[in-house]
Amino acid sequence: MSTAHSNAAKEFLKNQTYAKWHDATFWAVRTKRDNMAYGLDEWEQLREKASAIKRHTITHLDEYLDQFATKAEENGCIVHWAKDAHEFNEIVYGILKNHNVKKLVKSKSMLTEECEMNPYLEQHGIEVVETDLGERIIQLKGQAPSHIVMPAIHLNHDDVGELFEEKLGSEKGNHDPTYLTYVARLSLRNEFLTADAGMTGANFGIAETGDIVVCTNEGNADMSTSCPKLHITAIGLEKIIPNYDCLAVFQRMLCRAGTGQPTTTFTSHFRKARPTANPMHIVLVDNGRSEWIGNPEHWEALKCIRCGSCMNTCPVYRRSGGYSYSYFIPGPIGINLGMLRDPQKHSGNVSACTLCNSCQTLCPAKVNLGDQIYMWRQQLDEFGTANSQKKMMCKGMSMVYGNEGVYNLGTALAHWANLIPSPLINCGMNPWAEGHKMMKFPKETFHSLWKKGKVK
Amino acid sequence: MSNKDDILKRYRANVREKYDMPDLSDIKATTYPNPLVQFVKMTEMVGGQVIEVDSGRDINVLIKELFPDAKEIASNLPEITIATRNPDTVGRARDLNGTDVGIIRGMFGVAENACIWIPQTMKEKAVCFISENLIILLPKSQIVNNMHEAYKRIEFDNEYDGYGTFISGPSKTADIAQVLVMGAQAARSATVLLLPD
Amino acid sequence: MKIGLFIPCYVDVVYPQVGVATYKLLKHLGLDVDYPLNQTCCGQPMANAGFEGQAIPLAEKFEEKFKGFDYVVSPSVSCTAFIKLNYPRLLKGKTECETAKKAMDVVEFLHDVVKVNHPLGTFPHKVSLHNSCHGVRELGLSSPSEENIPKFNKIKDLLNLVEGIQVLEPERPDECCGFGGMFSVEETAISEQMGIDKVQRHMKTGARFVTGPDCSCLMHMAGIAKKRELDVEFKHVVEILAAGL
Repeated sequence: MSTAHSNAAKEFLKNQTYAKWHDATFWAVRTKRDNMAYGLDEWEQLREKASAIKRHTITHLDEYLDQFATKAEENGCIVHWAKDAHEFNEIVYGILKNHNVKKLVKSKSMLTEECEMNPYLEQHGIEVVETDLGERIIQLKGQAPSHIVMPAIHLNHDDVGELFEEKLGSEKGNHDPTYLTYVARLSLRNEFLTADAGMTGANFGIAETGDIVVCTNEGNADMSTSCPKLHITAIGLEKIIPNYDCLAVFQRMLCRAGTGQPTTTFTSHFRKARPTANPMHIVLVDNGRSEWIGNPEHWEALKCIRCGSCMNTCPVYRRSGGYSYSYFIPGPIGINLGMLRDPQKHSGNVSACTLCNSCQTLCPAKVNLGDQIYMWRQQLDEFGTANSQKKMMCKGMSMVYGNEGVYNLGTALAHWANLIPSPLINCGMNPWAEGHKMMKFPKETFHSLWKKGKVK
Repeated sequence: MSNKDDILKRYRANVREKYDMPDLSDIKATTYPNPLVQFVKMTEMVGGQVIEVDSGRDINVLIKELFPDAKEIASNLPEITIATRNPDTVGRARDLNGTDVGIIRGMFGVAENACIWIPQTMKEKAVCFISENLIILLPKSQIVNNMHEAYKRIEFDNEYDGYGTFISGPSKTADIAQVLVMGAQAARSATVLLLPD
Repeated sequence: MKIGLFIPCYVDVVYPQVGVATYKLLKHLGLDVDYPLNQTCCGQPMANAGFEGQAIPLAEKFEEKFKGFDYVVSPSVSCTAFIKLNYPRLLKGKTECETAKKAMDVVEFLHDVVKVNHPLGTFPHKVSLHNSCHGVRELGLSSPSEENIPKFNKIKDLLNLVEGIQVLEPERPDECCGFGGMFSVEETAISEQMGIDKVQRHMKTGARFVTGPDCSCLMHMAGIAKKRELDVEFKHVVEILAAGL
């Protein structure tokens, strides 16, 4: 019995040195997060507030979206609405075409990954340059992100060094991260200066002011929008929050939770274009969100602020890596978002959870990630993606456990299992024998001891 | 192409239970006995440098001492007399590339995380990011405890009212093998000059 | 105060001595304990695997058997957590769920209801404490490492009443051991890796015994350790609390 995730994870674990490094690296980020969380007495109160603000906002999104769009237009921005990924790509391409843009520099945006915007624009002849260092590395490598905050975490400095030797002409054999970062800086600097347009994602949109708020450590969102004459922002509907008081709560948590820093280096508020540039465009993207809000068990996934901390704490993610998941966002939130997107395609990730609940105990917005995965498992049968062997096994267990006579007979005989493989009570547990020595069954069950008066 | 109505209509048809906005006035946010001390500590922690400037000291001389090799210095601040470039008068933003030191003004600092609020007060904001080294002038009395206080205070400039940013230390990345490197795409060093009132 | 003893299926069959120790401990404390006959399984294995419908008839039987007691006490945190958290939903529209309110893990029961504070058994050894996920994050037996709340650990409090014991905790004290029921069957490679990592961290404390409030975690880790012939033993908390009584 296996799943798409478990098969991929098995491969991942074959390189034990790398797998151990991966686990230790993310555990270190988790530990940094803990130090930040323990450093604020009000941390749990902030989580409570963050969750309540998001619950309120995403159940009043129509009002806040309208307020945001009105305000942004008053500020002089041009606001677009995209119902799905295709429409989003068309809108962005339309804007670029109108401005005769040949080269677009962009900061990290999971939304543009979600909409597969880069390949669309490239097909239409536009050069797209990712400017977050991690995103740039995987773009040069032709890969997808393996983590939403640390997209190139699966590559070590030698991988990056060799890549830069080939693509950026760096010194042969010099794989020092400081040097390589400098090489990328010089190369990207040139891209910033020669791009015709800059694109950013958005961590938050502020309904009351129309601000687009972007948080980065590298300053690449600011560089992307400081020189080109055109700025386009892509923002998912659920990223709108009411006002600055709410923003304060999230700004304090986002980076502490995500990377264990007290803040990102830059928390930038874009309200309108630079004096010498064309008007700023904001594209609000639905792409499923207006339907997900109606899902009684899974609507709270929309509270997510994409800090990535659920991945860092997930014992399964840490030991299986981002590419073991079929959706472009891995880990607990990715399992849930993938299922909202397309259960037929992404059911193979639902096994990647022990239900340990570390994710939801730590999530800064208190998304009930583990509970949701449990609920998705209940729906696999309905989607037609449940494993038939597992289904039979559960039916079998229910039959045995539901009938005391059968149960007592089976359990009374269980100790024979010490001699015979595949006993009744242990049916389907054979995959266990790969990693475990089978347990020894004592001669008598508790039940039988009790009946004989041997329990004292 | 306007789908606003379609999207909002679909949303309204699907949204279920509605939740109230929580009261945020009872957040027991961390404060510090001496916010300035905390601000300095955090600035150093995030890789920045803080220098307290005594009254009467000429900051132009100080900056020259800090960056003796700097050739191109960019600023539009009236008290900076050593500037070789002015972000208000450059032809294009990209002409600011190659700036060794950029000097800008911060409105207030935040003790908990070393953020400094910098509204755009120049024609080309590129000066805040494109400079190799960034110097932020900050009045030392202007330190708030935390971001809740900060967000009650932020204001945009009257003239350049389209942009503002919090900056906390130099640009940084750990995207290559989780090794922290200062100076990713923006300034490689950040120095805060704390000015007397 | 009438206590119904719930001995989950796999404890019944694989670890009857844990059931015996639980009973012995409760009787030693002068409590009125009964073990209703013909109990089987709470339904958790099927539910976690995605077939909670199969758990409903079991929940109904469980409810019928145990609703008359004041407390339903069990030496298994994950079964108890399943009853507490899921039974009300599973039994909705069928019967008023009483047992969800009455179900208690034996550690929680001894700590919070009986408030045991006098010396218990004797166990002159170093033990490494295994904080099972559902005990930590669903029943609140200890403060989760994820949360910034005052530190506490009810299991440790009880173990410290045992004479001669030295209670240690591994690095990453509440990281999952990788059992997860059906998870260990579907995700064998990750489950095994998590188990190895966990057993190694327990052994690094220098303890020869690992103890915890859930036999399923212990069963998983014991299987992993035995396969590799590691010199470490696994005991349920009640076995240690009742040792020498």
